[in-house]
Amino acid sequence: MPSLEHSFEENVLTTKVDWLINWARLSSIWPMTFGLACCAIEMMAVGAAHHDIDRFGAGAFRASPRQADLMIVAGTVNFQMAERVKRLYDQMPSPKYVIAMGACATGGGPYFKFGYTVVKGVDRVVPVDVYIAGCPPRPEALLEGLMKLQEKIRRSSVIRRPARTA
Amino acid sequence: MDFSGITDRLRAIGAPGLLGVDEPRKADPKDKKDKGRAGQAFVLVDPQSLPAFLETCRDDERLGFELLIDLTATDPAKDSAELWVNVELLSVRHRQRLSIKALIPKADARLPSAVPVYRAAQWHERECAEMFGITFEGHPDPRHILLPDDWPGFPLRKDYEFPKEYHGISCE
Amino acid sequence: MTLDSTRTGAIPDDARILNDGQREFMLDVRTQDLEVNFGPQHPATHGVMRVLMRTDGELVTGAQPHLGYLHRCAEKIGENVEWLQYLPYTDRYDYLAAMNNNLGYSAAVEALLGIPVPRRAEMLRVICAELNRVGSHLIAFGTYGLDIGAFTPFFYAFREREWMMALFEKICGARLTYSYIRIGGVFNDAPPGWLEEVARFCEVFGEKWQEYYDLLVLNQIFVKRTSNIGVISREMAFDFGLTGPMLRGSGVDWDLRRDLPYSIYGEIWREGAFQIPVARGEMGTLGDCWDRTWVRVMEMIESIKIVRWCLERIEEGPVLGDIPKTLRVPPGEAYVGIENPRGELGHYVVSDGGKVAVRVRVRGPSFTNLAVLEDVLPGSLVGDAIAIIGSTDIVVGETDR
Repeated sequence: MPSLEHSFEENVLTTKVDWLINWARLSSIWPMTFGLACCAIEMMAVGAAHHDIDRFGAGAFRASPRQADLMIVAGTVNFQMAERVKRLYDQMPSPKYVIAMGACATGGGPYFKFGYTVVKGVDRVVPVDVYIAGCPPRPEALLEGLMKLQEKIRRSSVIRRPARTA
Repeated sequence: MDFSGITDRLRAIGAPGLLGVDEPRKADPKDKKDKGRAGQAFVLVDPQSLPAFLETCRDDERLGFELLIDLTATDPAKDSAELWVNVELLSVRHRQRLSIKALIPKADARLPSAVPVYRAAQWHERECAEMFGITFEGHPDPRHILLPDDWPGFPLRKDYEFPKEYHGISCE
Repeated sequence: MTLDSTRTGAIPDDARILNDGQREFMLDVRTQDLEVNFGPQHPATHGVMRVLMRTDGELVTGAQPHLGYLHRCAEKIGENVEWLQYLPYTDRYDYLAAMNNNLGYSAAVEALLGIPVPRRAEMLRVICAELNRVGSHLIAFGTYGLDIGAFTPFFYAFREREWMMALFEKICGARLTYSYIRIGGVFNDAPPGWLEEVARFCEVFGEKWQEYYDLLVLNQIFVKRTSNIGVISREMAFDFGLTGPMLRGSGVDWDLRRDLPYSIYGEIWREGAFQIPVARGEMGTLGDCWDRTWVRVMEMIESIKIVRWCLERIEEGPVLGDIPKTLRVPPGEAYVGIENPRGELGHYVVSDGGKVAVRVRVRGPSFTNLAVLEDVLPGSLVGDAIAIIGSTDIVVGETDR
């Protein structure tokens, strides 16, 4: 919009609605405190001072799914838990995102073959946006997964179609 | 006391249900198929008098097993007619351990509960019951503990078949 | 409960006057029964444990822990994979103390194999297991502070834990699931300079430990919050089969490292390198939540002493015995219990002489330590329930296996 640009003083910024909304969304992803197993310890390490997930605006871990944007499934999901994961996911307000952290949440991991109660991947229960490899993934890997999610949000559009899970 | 001291004491006080001992032995050099038995020694006990035996172990002054560390079962083989029930006791006073083994028939797997003697047995017995299909008579709370309430089969039996799906979620 | 007289108005006649002038009495807060579901998704359950509580006003009248939200079939897997292949699964039941789990499983299989472990490997085992004990208690203490409203200890604890994890990463390549202690020894020798860095860690940790002690353990708010609640008597601890810090927190002087020693702990104890902290009920009733936390925090510094002892005496040598890739274990059965940070971790292994175990039973200390909640929670206030559950320091991966 070249005609509009420079026609105001410096305190006005023109941009696309998409960009603005996406920027707001991706800069304040609030994850849910939802540790399941070993990966939860690495998730705690990401929240602590050394790795500091707050740098990406995702440090406000919410205990209630109703305040959260992101569910980090950190650990093995078994059948008993799968029903709860689904319910927690349904309680989250849209737009909502899911990161499957680690091998277990991605596809059953080391429990794939003989783990009779283990769900072979949390994507059989809830839709997943980003998968992170590792058993458990390093904190840096979780941060990278978060950045991938931010990229994904940056590419989405609120105008053409509603957010995927809405 | 070492193991032989404990068994001597058990015999001396006439512990109820004591059947014998199962001790490790070296392989017989003449018999090539015999590989011997490694590991540790067990006391063999009649399963029907297991709670009474445990009570003796706990209350006797020289044995003094205050802690029930573990109660579990073993399915030795697919074609085995028996299940083993293993109990591990520990004495803080006398710094000694005792391993107990009781054989129960697979077809009719039941034995009296040890909960009145040791409260610690409560959860271990619940786990044993759901994993091996053993009935503990007189257990105060015989629900599943680790598995969902409607889980089919007994997973730790050797003839267990893994489920194909559960509540609409595929297992493969 | 203790309340300041000016805030509450009417005080019952039977109120007891404490040493510091405060009056202690029980408020009648009963109303009607209400069932409160706590977990499996709750920040203070340390995982996915669920407790169904029956409350009467502010008073808990009944509690029923529900498990199984992280049941991962570890024992069934043990019957299906080879002896050496099972080692990585041991990392994952008590994921805060993976080194100790490796040690427990290896010790059980070695009891059947009857093979000696090289001296240097034993030293490295003890160093790693004790460092891991420190790391595990750091989490226990950091998250316990978090549970009851103190945020800072968590960051303090993770600061040292990150260093410790970097040390583990240098020696085995993993931060959390190590599989470092193998059957017959350890996976590889310490890289150059590693032992010196461990020595530096011990030195720094000694100073930092004092910080934790002053910041949290002796903090008046913390003491008032945790003393006199969740009292587990000696008899109750025995009846429920508690082990580890839970048992020592009830005043029972028992530690497998001293009383039924495994590895080289017997030698370390005889040389007087460490002590066993046993709770004495300094801040209230013996066996309360404060006592258990105190035991854990004191154990950290004792572990550091053990590591220092090993660092002074470690010599060059082989670190892994001659173990074939496909291990065949002679037929037999053995139960070996070791002192995990949470209590006695027992492995009961049965072999029929083949490549695969007949039975691998894991006796997780958290499992039995958790059972005591059924008896401890009733009678406490709802607000204290979190403090009591936190003080049991369970790892759900181990209760459910």
